[in-house]
Amino acid sequence: MNLLQEIWQSIVRRDSLSTDKGKSELVFLNVWLHIHPAKVKKENMKFRHSFYLGFITFFLFLILITTGIALMCYYRPYPPQAYQDMKDLQFVVFMGPFLRNMHRWAAHGMVVCVFLHMCRVFYTGSYKKPRQFNWVIGVFLLLLTLGLSFTGYLLPWDQLAYWAITVGTNIGSYAPLIGGQVRELLLGGHSVGEAALLRFYVLHVAVLPSLVILLTIVHFWRVRKDGGLSRPVWKLKPERETLVTIGAPAEAAPLTVKASTTKTYGLMEVVTGKPIFETVSAEEEEDTVFSFPYAFVREAVTLMATVTTIMVMSLFLNAPLEELANPAKTPNPAKAPWYFLGLQELVSHSALLGGVVAPALMVLARRPRDRKWVLWLFTIFVVANLVLIVIGTFFRGPGWALVPPWVHVVGGAE
Amino acid sequence: MERRLQQLFFALSILALVLIVAAAWQANTPSWKTYQHNFLQLEAQGEPNAVAKAAVLATPPEIHQVMLTGLQRVDRCTTCHLGVEDPTMKDAPEPFRYHANLGSHIPSKFGCTICHGGQGLATDKEAAHGKVAFWPNPLLSNDYIRASCGRCHKEGDVPGVPELTEGRRLFESQGCRGCHKLNGVGGSIGPDLTAEGANHRAPEWLEQHFLTPNAVSAGSAMPNFHFTREQARALTYYMLSLTSEEMGSYYSSVRVIPGPEYGRKLFEEKNCITCHNVGGVGAKTGPDLMGVTTHSLEWLDEQLVNPELVYPGSSMPAYDLEPNARKALVAYLNSATPADIQLLLAHKNHPLTPEDVGIEAGKADFARFGCAGCHGTELQGGVPNPNAQGGEVPSLLHLSDDYTKDEVIAVIRNGRAPPLDNTAGPTPPLYMPSWKKVLSDEDINRLADFLWSKQEKKKESW
Repeated sequence: MNLLQEIWQSIVRRDSLSTDKGKSELVFLNVWLHIHPAKVKKENMKFRHSFYLGFITFFLFLILITTGIALMCYYRPYPPQAYQDMKDLQFVVFMGPFLRNMHRWAAHGMVVCVFLHMCRVFYTGSYKKPRQFNWVIGVFLLLLTLGLSFTGYLLPWDQLAYWAITVGTNIGSYAPLIGGQVRELLLGGHSVGEAALLRFYVLHVAVLPSLVILLTIVHFWRVRKDGGLSRPVWKLKPERETLVTIGAPAEAAPLTVKASTTKTYGLMEVVTGKPIFETVSAEEEEDTVFSFPYAFVREAVTLMATVTTIMVMSLFLNAPLEELANPAKTPNPAKAPWYFLGLQELVSHSALLGGVVAPALMVLARRPRDRKWVLWLFTIFVVANLVLIVIGTFFRGPGWALVPPWVHVVGGAE
Repeated sequence: MERRLQQLFFALSILALVLIVAAAWQANTPSWKTYQHNFLQLEAQGEPNAVAKAAVLATPPEIHQVMLTGLQRVDRCTTCHLGVEDPTMKDAPEPFRYHANLGSHIPSKFGCTICHGGQGLATDKEAAHGKVAFWPNPLLSNDYIRASCGRCHKEGDVPGVPELTEGRRLFESQGCRGCHKLNGVGGSIGPDLTAEGANHRAPEWLEQHFLTPNAVSAGSAMPNFHFTREQARALTYYMLSLTSEEMGSYYSSVRVIPGPEYGRKLFEEKNCITCHNVGGVGAKTGPDLMGVTTHSLEWLDEQLVNPELVYPGSSMPAYDLEPNARKALVAYLNSATPADIQLLLAHKNHPLTPEDVGIEAGKADFARFGCAGCHGTELQGGVPNPNAQGGEVPSLLHLSDDYTKDEVIAVIRNGRAPPLDNTAGPTPPLYMPSWKKVLSDEDINRLADFLWSKQEKKKESW
């Protein structure tokens, strides 16, 4: 018994969780948990504060890594074996369809959640100082997520995959100056073929996931270092008068921390200089609670809710698998993956509009003086994109003609 | 609140566990296991005692598959169709019934889908029979299944399938190549038919298309050839057999190589004798073929596939012959004597003069490149071509009335859009393609020679 206790102590090396010290040590003595603060603001834990979208996205990513690694055991990235492996997953691999379904739905879910997460961040103004850098990281993570989804789209090597990537990369080639070259670099040729499949595979299983992991670490770190989740201005309490000044070097402003009589942890080191941003030290003690168990239990519930949702979907909805890719047989209409259908819709009207103007607007239309304008612009962008995606997905028939989804076009595939 | 959340966490964890079990259960109870169980019970009935019965029933379920690298497929049909090779199962209910009349086409060498169609990789009934979305190749009905023989038996008579022979004959004689390409030879007005059988059109569609082209594809430029039902069926068989799949050497060689007799037929059909001679008997335009088989087989094969490669500037056309047809031709040449050729020539209506040689070659080209498809096997024309002048493809029997030979040669070389009946109307579906990239000048001259040999006497004008 003593031995067991000793082993356990050697692993966790913290005080009992019934004490505040133990609760803090649980967080900052643990490499996986210490990305959390030891204490979090009560306000920030409310579901309605962030809808936990960042966490859901992260958990979907975990599902994708797990199922993705399992899928790699059954997949050969060259045609036509790639397609045959899909059929094997469907028909002979134990729980193969379930595995593939989970990967597929989690992937679509991740694109959706990243997008919603960014909307939340935008509408709450959380991209503003001091979080501008993290917003930029977030934009890169969005691009990487789209890249992962897009590269994964090709791997089944069926008609859906082949033509979605053909159309998708064609849209990319409308980008001025480098569009064509980037497409060629990506495909390893002028059209989607063996080389493209291998490149997409390498990007999908090695390059892009590594980058996502790296940037996610930075992203989480910065959430923490930028003062946790942002809060409405009117909820930020004015700093108290009773701040203690520690140290006062000649050239720099003094660092101030709040004095507390009940504080059971100590500041380990005092460095001098002006803090660059709002620090935890300015927060009200009574507004915060320990991460354990308050934040952790919420994260755990979110994790399980995400996993079970994807599992239920995977039990009842099968990932699509069409015929073997056939470069000689273009489906009509050929559609890009759904999240690029807004762009395809624009490109179908005007290559200039979709390939140059719309992406440029997104980059250039930054921070006019009045936030009202920014909000309107962003809302218009979001709504327009959604409308175009819906039109592209459900209302486009052969020859990219407007066809309501309830009208069946005879011979449309020819 | 915190307590509630903890309870929720445990509830969700249990739910996740249940879902995993459900997924595993779903994966562990595929329909093929039920079929195998039923088959074992059927088999156990025949066993004499309880011990043997128990032994049969204890057979673990497993997926049976035939890996056919030569046919580029994996067939798992025998996972459920367990009695296919077991004669004692000849009265068993499907899917366990014995497959009679297989002959040498044993499933372990040929699988099932090469003849039957369907999805060999699948292990549930609907998907395996190919009657699902996104599997373009459903099971062929019994009416059309023999068309599959033509996938390997690409030349000569296929035993028991006269439709294939007839279909091929019709294809070459009715001028289909005028509009349709097959293995790289033919026109481009209609679709390439090289892999028509792999397009997975319904056989019924094809058959209807041959009977009344416009009934199934509206506005089709294809003329109505007034085929009989049997002819339409024969052409459908031929189309279904054209999958352009690479069959492994095992399938394209074993016992299907036609002998010298088929070679003789080809020699006559392709009019080799209009250029060549054997031991001095025949035409002198091309070389004597006596002893030509002393060359290596590769050389001979290349000479038939691509004469220009062997002798740059050779005027011999590249014939579109299947590998086995080339072998048959070589086998014939190996045995051909001047006396054989004499006999062959005796069947011709009149001895060949040097002019006749050119005309015969032109006639061969006229058939081979499908001119007959529109202009008629007797040059009579008459195929409807809406909004072209006269409303139909012109007859070629009175060319010399309106054109010089050089003008006709120019039209064959460069092609021509037909003059319009009504300039505001739609473009006529049929037009004269340009042949200069397909035919050599020499070939075109011969065609003109052939046409001129067929011109009817100028009508008396007053």
